[in-house]
Amino acid sequence: MTTDQNKVRGADVGYTLNRRELLIGAAGVAGAGALLAACGGGEVGPLTFGARTVDESPTKQLKALVAAYEAKTGNTVTYNATESNAFQNNLSQYLQGTPDDAFQWMAGYRMQFFAEQGLLVDLTDVWDKIGDQYSESYKIASTGLDGKQYFIPQSWYPWGMHFRKSMLAELGIDPDGIYNWDDFMKMLDGMKSKGLIGFAAADKGGWEAMGTFDILNARINGYQFHVDLMAGREKWTDARTAEVFKYWEMLVPYMNDNVLDLEWDGAMQLLLQKKAGAMLMGSWFGGNFKEQSDADYEDLWIIPFPEINPEHKRDTIDAPIDGFCAAKNGANNDGGKDFLAFAGDMEGVQAMLDTGVPMTSANKGQDTSTYDAFQTQQLAVMAEAKYITQFLDRDTRPDFAGPIVGPALQSWFKNPKDVNKILESLQSQWDALPPL
Amino acid sequence: MSVVARGRKQEVKDRVISAFIGVFALLWLFPILWTLWSSFRPYSEIRARGTFSLPERFGLFNYADAIDRMELPTYLWNSALITVPAVFLTLLFGSLIAFVVSRYSFKFNVGMLLLFTAGNLLPAQLVFIPVFRMYLSIGDLVGNRRFLFDSPWGVVLIHVAFQMGFATFVLSSYMKTIPKEISESALVDGASVFRHYRSVMLPLLRPPLASLAVLMTTWIYNDFFWALVLMSTDRKRPITSALGRLTGEYVTDYNLLAAGAMIAALPTLIVFFVLRRQFVSGLTLGSTKG
Amino acid sequence: MGRSAAALSDGKLKRTTAASPKRPRRRRAFSRSDRFTLGVFVGVPTAIHLLLVWIPATLTIYLSFTYWTGINYSDITWAGLANYDNIFTKTPLFYDAVRNNVIWLVWFALISTPAGVLLAYQIDRQIRGHRFYQSAYYFPVVLSLAVTGIIWNFMLRSDGFINGLIGRDISNAVSFFGNYDINIYVIMVIASWRHVGYIMLLYLAGLKAVDPTLREAAAIDGATEWETFRKVVLPAMRPVNIIIVVITIIESLRAFDIIYVIYGTSAGLPILGVLVFQNIAGEGASMKGAAYAVILFVLSIGPIIAYLRQQFREDVS
Repeated sequence: MTTDQNKVRGADVGYTLNRRELLIGAAGVAGAGALLAACGGGEVGPLTFGARTVDESPTKQLKALVAAYEAKTGNTVTYNATESNAFQNNLSQYLQGTPDDAFQWMAGYRMQFFAEQGLLVDLTDVWDKIGDQYSESYKIASTGLDGKQYFIPQSWYPWGMHFRKSMLAELGIDPDGIYNWDDFMKMLDGMKSKGLIGFAAADKGGWEAMGTFDILNARINGYQFHVDLMAGREKWTDARTAEVFKYWEMLVPYMNDNVLDLEWDGAMQLLLQKKAGAMLMGSWFGGNFKEQSDADYEDLWIIPFPEINPEHKRDTIDAPIDGFCAAKNGANNDGGKDFLAFAGDMEGVQAMLDTGVPMTSANKGQDTSTYDAFQTQQLAVMAEAKYITQFLDRDTRPDFAGPIVGPALQSWFKNPKDVNKILESLQSQWDALPPL
Repeated sequence: MSVVARGRKQEVKDRVISAFIGVFALLWLFPILWTLWSSFRPYSEIRARGTFSLPERFGLFNYADAIDRMELPTYLWNSALITVPAVFLTLLFGSLIAFVVSRYSFKFNVGMLLLFTAGNLLPAQLVFIPVFRMYLSIGDLVGNRRFLFDSPWGVVLIHVAFQMGFATFVLSSYMKTIPKEISESALVDGASVFRHYRSVMLPLLRPPLASLAVLMTTWIYNDFFWALVLMSTDRKRPITSALGRLTGEYVTDYNLLAAGAMIAALPTLIVFFVLRRQFVSGLTLGSTKG
Repeated sequence: MGRSAAALSDGKLKRTTAASPKRPRRRRAFSRSDRFTLGVFVGVPTAIHLLLVWIPATLTIYLSFTYWTGINYSDITWAGLANYDNIFTKTPLFYDAVRNNVIWLVWFALISTPAGVLLAYQIDRQIRGHRFYQSAYYFPVVLSLAVTGIIWNFMLRSDGFINGLIGRDISNAVSFFGNYDINIYVIMVIASWRHVGYIMLLYLAGLKAVDPTLREAAAIDGATEWETFRKVVLPAMRPVNIIIVVITIIESLRAFDIIYVIYGTSAGLPILGVLVFQNIAGEGASMKGAAYAVILFVLSIGPIIAYLRQQFREDVS
């Protein structure tokens, strides 16, 4: 029984984001108000919006968006929030059953898959209206496999090495001075000598460690190999993939013991409580540090993951894009589209920014001169990267990422020596996946 | 039936046994008590001063906060909306089947009993995808997708379908202990099947019905699997799902969560506490040849 | 004598004298309305049960032999045994899950269920404090698993009670849920916390129907309590024993809720119930999940049949 695994129709996962484009996109074109107010604002009746979070800061932003839309158009929006994991676990049922008209989702194959199944509304005409507010690469990220757009970007965040400036200062290390693996190891040794955890890691949810895998793979073997591996064109049993785990194992002595007992917020706590030196994570949690105190937020810093292979430098970064989609089975498709047109327009973005919660918008109109130091640094980290990937569980087949890669990485933490067995199993399970 | 006085040796043994069980009973209750204790303290204090610190602030503020953030009245109402009809229908249908099967001799009696009790033991995960699609299809047929899916009635029905078996089993076991003469005299009086059920048997079923009501209420109220997969609007789900909302995506305030959990547990605790005497006494399992 | 005593417990039943001659059992002719009533009485519940339990179960069994993402009917393609082959030969996680379910079963069978049974026996004997004990041990059963998960998370988290007690904080905590060597046992403690009370209750319900004269006779013969239990009560409780055994097996096989509450769908502690859900719900849905469900079903069938045979024997008599 042959299956054409290479038919992962997310054909080229990851996008070659032109560095200049991204900088232009983010550098802020002044005059947000000049953009047409015709974007979003028709009389389309009541609609519903599904949020993928129940957390305080993001909810504040989303509710502000909804309120601004209601104020502008007079359409009532019912705000339905679901906890993130419950939402993701039920997405398939949700979209087939009685979904909200617009909902919060993620870019990547995760979105393209559902578009393929006919569960998302074609948003090409919305893009015609607001497309000029986004750089080309975001449009690519929002495009389904059939060439039409199904996604409106909202925000993005880079996955990078986060520190507390104060902790590094105590060691006498300048964060921007950590460029390559040796520098990084030196920092970890410094932390360990002070009795601290060098590298805070979490993987209770099964997905957190994928970020580490992604970046190690991209650093050691390059962007193209990573993309090919995600698409099944390269093998997990390849010696290059095994290299990733060799380097990963070097980090294990500097990690906390309870990796499988902590979810991502546990690792964040280690950083927040100054018990750990570094954490590889997406920058979304800035809001959490800010909730704790302004001083904590100002102490937070990010740099790209260190270079390992000089051939690839630090040219790749995981920068998942979060955004919105409209559901085909929703009761009010036009309402959903109208809302998304508003959400994607600078007016909607501004409503979210006005809440004061830090957000790195995908919209060109965000005035980056108002960015604080941490946000500016995130931009700088992104700027250094030539290639952007979306994160493993958005870049490869969902029936492979969650049920198979997740447990495999967890079992590696349980016993790092089993790496060859694990890689062989990964490859054979990939081969056994049903044809798409 | 009290312990027959068996002499000192047994009495001493009994004291030891009682003490042993007693110690464990306290250990059993400890986790709940600890959670209760924590619910009265603010998380910020625990974080700042440690888990075992003496409380500075102590009170019901977490509860007020939980009620506010959790939109508790809505969720408790959702739970009631599902639990009450489900328990009622389960007991009703269970009693109907048990009645026919134990008071009349039909060839299909044994088969029916087997069907229902086996059905009760099937794992829920075995059926949920087809049920999900069935609900949507029926919804489309009736013109309202939310007829069964994302509706409390859909959840009620699946609970009834699964729990009927247990109710049937308990009620038929109990009915076997009711003398046949009762039914015979009713039939002699020319009672219809309906009257036989309603006026003759049903009043006699009070004890097992009461116990089953307590058990079923607990089970159905506490379930969250079906509401999780057969409803998509979080605001319509029962309270067990609301706890998922509080747990949230990011940083968790565990003391607040404790308060929410205590509130969610309250209805079943009240039911259990009020009816605990009737509970075991009304439950009949199997028929023991005495 | 004992049985009727139970039936008389609410004092509403009157014994009719057996003075009237036994009526011959002849097949009654049912009136039309009677037939209608019977039809409704039997038909409606059975229809619901068949429609929502048995027919979907059959459909899932069929689907386990197909490839499908669960979305468009047109995408269903026949797969034969591919899903099963995948599970048995290519998914090491499956064997981890089976291992955990077996540990679950053994623990329940050797520790939790016997504990519940002995507890029921002592409480039924009305030792000192029995009323309090009955409530205390049954308490956890009344709580929903979401609440149970929260309570035990409180106790065992990296920054929870036990870690606090032994003086560890989040950076060096004992990893109760994450440490693969101990987490199954930790979960077993939590599961037993509920299971013991549940079994206790079921057994109590059965015990009170045991003829008290049997026990009195044993006491008069000079048997110790333990001997009485083993030789008199236990054999008399045979039908209930079978119920208990079946429930123990079924509960350990279809365990899901507590694991989902603590681990979500990640593979922190793989068990069959979670594998089903992980593969059949959510974005990466495939009929591998249906195959897992069928495996779960097949494993449960043994006890179910054993139980039904016991019922059959009883009902025929």
